[in-house]
Amino acid sequence: MNSQQWQQRAGGNWISASLGEIRLIAQSMLERGARFEAFVVTQTKAGDLRLIWHWDLKGKLFSVESKAAVSTPLPSIVDIYCGADWAEREARDYYGVTFEGRASIAPLMLRESDPPGVMLRSKGGLQ
Amino acid sequence: MSYRIPIGPYHVALDEPYKIEVDCEGETITDAHIKVGFNFRGIEWLAQRKNITRCIALMERVCGICSNVHSMTFCMALEQIGAIEVPKRAQYIRTVVAELERLHSHLLWAGVAAEMIGFQTTFMEVFRFRERVMDLLEAISGNRVNYSMNCIGGVNRDITDPESVAAGARNIRDTVNRVLIPVFTTDHTISARCRGVGVLSHADALRYGAVGPVARASGVDTDLRRDCAYLAYDQIDFAVPVRTEGDVLARVVVRAQEMVESCNIIEQALAQMPSGSLNVGDIYAVPPGDAVMRIEAPRGEVFYYVESDGSDVPSRVKVRTPTFANIPSVMGMLKGNEFADMPLIQAALDPCYSCTDR
Repeated sequence: MNSQQWQQRAGGNWISASLGEIRLIAQSMLERGARFEAFVVTQTKAGDLRLIWHWDLKGKLFSVESKAAVSTPLPSIVDIYCGADWAEREARDYYGVTFEGRASIAPLMLRESDPPGVMLRSKGGLQ
Repeated sequence: MSYRIPIGPYHVALDEPYKIEVDCEGETITDAHIKVGFNFRGIEWLAQRKNITRCIALMERVCGICSNVHSMTFCMALEQIGAIEVPKRAQYIRTVVAELERLHSHLLWAGVAAEMIGFQTTFMEVFRFRERVMDLLEAISGNRVNYSMNCIGGVNRDITDPESVAAGARNIRDTVNRVLIPVFTTDHTISARCRGVGVLSHADALRYGAVGPVARASGVDTDLRRDCAYLAYDQIDFAVPVRTEGDVLARVVVRAQEMVESCNIIEQALAQMPSGSLNVGDIYAVPPGDAVMRIEAPRGEVFYYVESDGSDVPSRVKVRTPTFANIPSVMGMLKGNEFADMPLIQAALDPCYSCTDR
């Protein structure tokens, strides 16, 4: 997390990272006293997922961006930031993503019987 | 004896549908589990299927209490993507309406809290008092719930009689100082019900990602209006109330003091409001790009991520409401408390389950 790597744009400070770096970054954010803001998932035109973890540190926004195929398991940061639990469960509901490192991931907005991934284009969206 | 008490999702004691399962050892709460999603409307999905003009109306319906802040945050995100400069007068009008909305939200909460504590008369007096704020909002916008004030590049309506709004703010501040704050801070019964109850430590507030008055009552000195000033807040003097106790009483006091500060902000904003246009004209699309917009809503920070592909329909709108960030911390607040305090502790969060579910 070299400060020179952060780019200022879109209302915050942005950096690209591999999925393998996400937990290290989350741990580093916690040690600095940063507050977990949100986990945003979008689907690119090619069909991949764009993943953005956002933190607030003393009023400044720090956004860490990564990419993954739809079926790629993502690193969970729930054991570092328990507040990320709902964000990860919602990402599962909307984009059908799975997370490594957590015992279970119950739906948040959907019911148990609803199939996850309602925002995925391949699924055709909410029925 | 250990047992689990399920409450909800539809229950006479709940203002909105959600479910809470409380594990108890005798009368003491050992764990709690909250289930949401009973108001799920798929607003993020809908936003990707409507043009940005319709999306403004859609976002205003995320929450029935802080409706203005959602349409404003959405518009401000698009203004950032499109590098649209909002006229100064419109920024001041947005500031005034945002603070009036904070006032009516905090007063609504104060009434609900009074009822939870058992003060029916205070509840009715606070709601009668709240009508003054609603009257001001209605006088400005013509509406009482969805104000339709925001458009991309400014506001739809002017404040034509700023002196009457300023007089209203002075009157509200006087009543809050003279009646509301003394009741909530010196009454023995309120103190006995709230002091030391539902404590959220500073460390837990950070771990759970709490925002707004809940975080500030746990010693987290954060307020986007000051830390990341937007609209006219950088031109206005105001204090950010912070307490370190982290209990229900601290949340009560923080919100009460915030009401006084909101009145101060409204008065200053109206006095400084320059003349000029209200908006930059009709805008139906913005260039490709993305933006994060964070605004200090009454319940805490609201977070929007908006992505545009250059068409008139956004390619992604992510909405994270303050209550979405705050509810998980309730599970930390409840542990170790008496079961009888559970309704008050969860109410002290000032939760809004409908905007959480979106």
